[in-house]
Amino acid sequence: MIPVIEVQDLRYRYHDGTEALRGVSFRVESGECVGLLGPNGSGKSTLLLHLNGILPEHGSADGLVRILGRTLEPENLPWVRQQVGLLFQDPDDQLFCATVAEDVAFGPRQLGLPEAEVQARLERALAAVGLSGLEDRATHHLSHGEKRRACLAGLLACEPAILVLDEPTSGLDPRGRRELKALLRRLPGTKLIATHDLELAVELCPRCLVLDQGRLVADGPTVDLLNDEALMLAHGLERPHILQHLHPHPNHV
Amino acid sequence: MLLPGHIHRPRSSGIHRWPAEWKFAGALVILLGTVVQSELTPLWFGPVWGLLMWVWWRSRLPVGFVMSRLLWLSPFVLAVALAGAWRPVGGPAWWVLACKAFTSLLTVVLLANTTPFSEMLRVFRRLRVPGLLLSTLALMHRYVFVLLEETERMRRARAGRTFRPGRSRLWQIQASVVGHLLIRALARASRIYQAMLARGWS
Repeated sequence: MIPVIEVQDLRYRYHDGTEALRGVSFRVESGECVGLLGPNGSGKSTLLLHLNGILPEHGSADGLVRILGRTLEPENLPWVRQQVGLLFQDPDDQLFCATVAEDVAFGPRQLGLPEAEVQARLERALAAVGLSGLEDRATHHLSHGEKRRACLAGLLACEPAILVLDEPTSGLDPRGRRELKALLRRLPGTKLIATHDLELAVELCPRCLVLDQGRLVADGPTVDLLNDEALMLAHGLERPHILQHLHPHPNHV
Repeated sequence: MLLPGHIHRPRSSGIHRWPAEWKFAGALVILLGTVVQSELTPLWFGPVWGLLMWVWWRSRLPVGFVMSRLLWLSPFVLAVALAGAWRPVGGPAWWVLACKAFTSLLTVVLLANTTPFSEMLRVFRRLRVPGLLLSTLALMHRYVFVLLEETERMRRARAGRTFRPGRSRLWQIQASVVGHLLIRALARASRIYQAMLARGWS
């Protein structure tokens, strides 16, 4: 079976000489929800930008990225960007249109869809994230949680096969975090979630990758990795509290 | 801090509900008509000021808010008046120039605060203004608030660690804040471009 995401020996150096990725390789199968853990500056965001074909334009990249079996190349970038929905860390970077409706409809309009289909997708996406009725709200007047959900609606409107999320719960209050986790759980498709929220990783991602200093240092079942205290401490992480109260049967997480 | 645009509540009065096309056309006529006047012609300025006052009253925009906007823009009026006062001979008197500039600014302030920006962009699109210019305007309007909030956060952070403010040091700090803001704005612009690419911008 063709992996949905395949990364082989990916290396990336920023123009200032910083080596952000040093030979990263992994595969993600269809329908998987995979967590990407690591300390600040470990290369998580850099890796996610590669999956959407953004970074190779601005630095020296080496290695191979395949999305749904197709090698990432300049010719198939539009197709790749349609397949991979990328949620940015700061929602203010991602919500660049004046109103929620304009922003959510941006992707479908870029795809050249007829206006009726754009409106249908807009309604479906806003309903999916619980923002129906806020179509005409100015994006800079939304709360942080609403901004996050509007960003997700913008991705869902493009109907991507893969969701790549960079710190989706950062800056959210406990209720916002809980609601976003419930929303992510409901969303179908393959997901790769970079996060510092280890509870989110335990609750949503059966498998995790650990990245540190641009290297993939661990890949395995989330509960096993997070229970390995030595591994966690060595890579700037810690064993989350939730594991102490975890049900002994992983299927009940 | 009260940020620009926070006073603007779309469709809160009859004037807000007027089609943006009418308001834009009316403002354009007032601006062009005012620009070509060489004197304070009562036949022109009388009805125009009457109309502007009526629009201001009906739009329910607070007096303090409109006055503060005019005050923010007053350096432009002053610059125009000063340029007029220093001109050797000929042309309109400085106070005529000041009145014309004030009339134009009031028109623009009333138009901008009774018409949502997205509606203005729609009118521009109908007028076949180039798409690139419209995208630039839309992005500018979207991010001016983010930059203002960032400026305010930096101001607070600076105030929190300014124990003995001195005039010379203050200018140095202000220059540093402006420099940092520019760098942050450039970094953000790069991330916004990435976000646009990620959703198929070409």
